[in-house]
Order: sequence, then C-alpha cells, then structure tokens
Amino acid sequence: MAPLRGNQHTLTGVYALDALDTDAEVARFERHMARCQSCTSEVRGFRETATQLGMAASSQPPPTLRATVMDEVARTRQLPAPDDGARHRRPAPRLTWLPRLAMAGAAIGLAAAITLGVLLVNTQNELSQTRHQLAQSQTELAAINAVRTASDAILLTKATPIGGTVTVVASASRHQIVVTARGLPVLRAGKVYQLWLIGSNGNKIRSEGLLTLHNGRTGPVLISGVLRGDIFGITVEPPGGTVQPTVKPFIAIRA
Amino acid sequence: MRASEPEVPRPEGGDQYLNGLLARVARGDQAAFEAVYDKLAGPVYGLILRVVRDPAQSEEVSQDVLLEVWRSAARFDPAKGSAATWVMTIAHRRAVDRVRSAAAAAAREQRTAEVPVPQDAVADVVEASLDAERVRRCLDGLTESQRESITLAYYGGYSYRQVGERLGIALSTIKTRIRDGLIRMRDCLGVS
Repeated sequence: MAPLRGNQHTLTGVYALDALDTDAEVARFERHMARCQSCTSEVRGFRETATQLGMAASSQPPPTLRATVMDEVARTRQLPAPDDGARHRRPAPRLTWLPRLAMAGAAIGLAAAITLGVLLVNTQNELSQTRHQLAQSQTELAAINAVRTASDAILLTKATPIGGTVTVVASASRHQIVVTARGLPVLRAGKVYQLWLIGSNGNKIRSEGLLTLHNGRTGPVLISGVLRGDIFGITVEPPGGTVQPTVKPFIAIRA
Repeated sequence: MRASEPEVPRPEGGDQYLNGLLARVARGDQAAFEAVYDKLAGPVYGLILRVVRDPAQSEEVSQDVLLEVWRSAARFDPAKGSAATWVMTIAHRRAVDRVRSAAAAAAREQRTAEVPVPQDAVADVVEASLDAERVRRCLDGLTESQRESITLAYYGGYSYRQVGERLGIALSTIKTRIRDGLIRMRDCLGVS
C-alpha cells in the first residue's frame, strides 16, 4: 500500500494544475485525497499558488462580455446552498441542487402520472404494459438524476434566437447530458423540435429524438454516449422528424 | 452615509473583500456580482485566453464561468480556500476542458503554428502590477525544467502526460518537477 500512497501523493501538483489525463485518474486521486489530510492541504496551497499565476495573466475582456453576463445573470436562477452533509459527501445524492431541472424533473414525474392516469382507464390486460412504461420512465428519471447530481456535472443555459432557453447538464465522467428547454415557441403545421448529437469532427450526426413541449416546457431528455467536444443541437423539422437534419440547428452547445 | 453602507465591504481589501461579496452574491445581490465581475473578469478572461488562445472561444468560456460564479455562489466555502481561487479554479478547469478535446487541440496547435507563442510564456502576460511582478520573480527562481513543466501544464492546459511527451521526460519525473516547483513557488509567494 505504501508505494501506491506515495505515488498518489506526488500527484498533488499535477492535480492542482488540472493536469491529470483522465477523469478516472482525477477520481482516483480524489478518493486518495479524501483520506489524506496532508494532500488536501498541499493541494489547497498549490491552488492558491496557481491562482496567482492566473491573476498574472489578467487581460482586458471584450467590452461586450459584461453586458452579456449581466443579462444572463438577470435571467438565471441560483443554486441553493448545500447543507453541510452534502458539502462533504460526494457524489452528493441530492435532487434539489438544480432548481430549474428539479422543476423539469417534476414535470416528467407529472407527465408519467398523467400517462398512468390515462392508462388506468384502459383494460386490465394493458396493466402490465403500463407497469413496464412506468418502470422505464423511472429508470430514465434515475439516470437523469444521476447526471444532475454527478460530482462533475456542469450546467449551461443558453437563450435561443427563436425565443426561450435551453439548459444542458453534462457529466463528462458519465458521458451523458440532460437537456431541458423552456419558453420555446409552439410550432405550427405539426413541425417538431428534433435533438441531434454531432461528433466533434462534424461527420457523425445522430438523432436523439424529438423534444415534446408541455406548456412551453419540456421534460428532461437524457442523451448518452456523449464525448467531450461533441455538439448538441436542436433543429425544427417536418412532422415526425427526419433522419438527418434538414436545417442548421437554431441552437448548438458543445459538450 | 454610514448607515447605508454597512453591507459594503472595504473597497480595496483582498480575500475578505471578495469573500464578503460572494456571500452577498449567494443571496442574489446583483450589485455585489457586478463588483465581483469588475474584480475578476480580467483575470478570468486573461487566464482562459492564455489557455484557449482564441479570443472568441475565450469570451464564450469566460461567460460560462462568470455565470457559474453567479449560479453557484452559495457553494463557495471560504474554509476551503479564497474566493479568487474558487473562481480561478473554475475558470482554469473550463479552459482546460475546452482545449482537451481532440478536435479543439488540433485547431489550437494550428493557431499556435500561425501565431507563435513566445518561449517564455510568462514574459508577455506579466504586466506592470506588483503582484504579477512578484509572480514573475518567483517563476524566475525555479529551475528551468520546473518552470517549463508548470508553465506548459497551467498556461498551456496540457496534461502531465502531454507535458512529458513535449519535454521528452518520464511521467514520474514530471510529477515531481511540478510538485517541487509548486512548493518553491508557494513558499516564494508566501502562500500559507
């Protein structure tokens, strides 16, 4: 054990500079750090040191940045403070830290409940199918919550040029993203919002299904197999969707 | 005047000032966020630009980082480090994430080829400010290989494996060089 420990300990500097190669290496070091007080304090000192290197690189940002950020801030909800338990526990198994998505989560719960209600009036022999669907939506909900609460989850919210906002929570370690949208305009003539995942080299485009609106809001959609650098986009397509996008995405977010 | 000012922290203070501001940001105080912006947008953008090298992409990443500061201010824990470090750590991670994807790295290499980055990556970033001067002096105090490793990893956004490949040095050596260099930097800068 001793050599391994020593080995991990010398990674404090590399870790503090975000220079480990893989998420797995980061996870391994963080597990070690959780039991290694001297590593924790060394990393803290190194991070403060790195901050001074960062401050020394200070440069005047473009003047447009301020207005853009303030505009986003005015429209962006904040996360609640974590309780003390959650702060020290990782990955924090809490469902409430992303209020916007928590609402979206409630929306899918509601959608599932409505589905259930409708299905219950159907004949008895459809009951097993209902159970199956419910189990599926619960499995998906669990997966969605796993992404939202992943320790490396990052959240991006972007306003779209056609109105409304799209929010993406991405977990690099899980290779998954969760997408929700609100305030998107209702489409006419049966047109649909279709989700796409575009490989970072641009030649691999995969349909990720359609986005269904309920009162301008969508339930969370889970997309798996996402690699760093992949681009997630939404297009407006003819009824039923298409195999390949027929128009440019009105919004594109890099994972 | 005084009665209306108890919420306003000392204007020129360092850590305490920023900690106080972030606590107010966590309560949804947009004016406090603007003060944080004015203090840290330059460092955030400058660091991201140094790593990402493309001004348009750097602006985009900076925007995400600053919004993240607003969004998760309540998660800042002053017991774990300074406010500036919390913000700059988010900025550095996001910048590194941006350049680590294969395509982005290739594009960046191309930009590097077009616009040569000076060998001494620090020389052009260090401006007149005293703090920056201090950082520069401390970097000068490192061995050349320590300075190279730290600069490539932090400002270059390279993983330590990539640093090793570029310098033709074994991984275990890179780990030690970075750590030894950071210890020296930390002590030189008087970081507690």
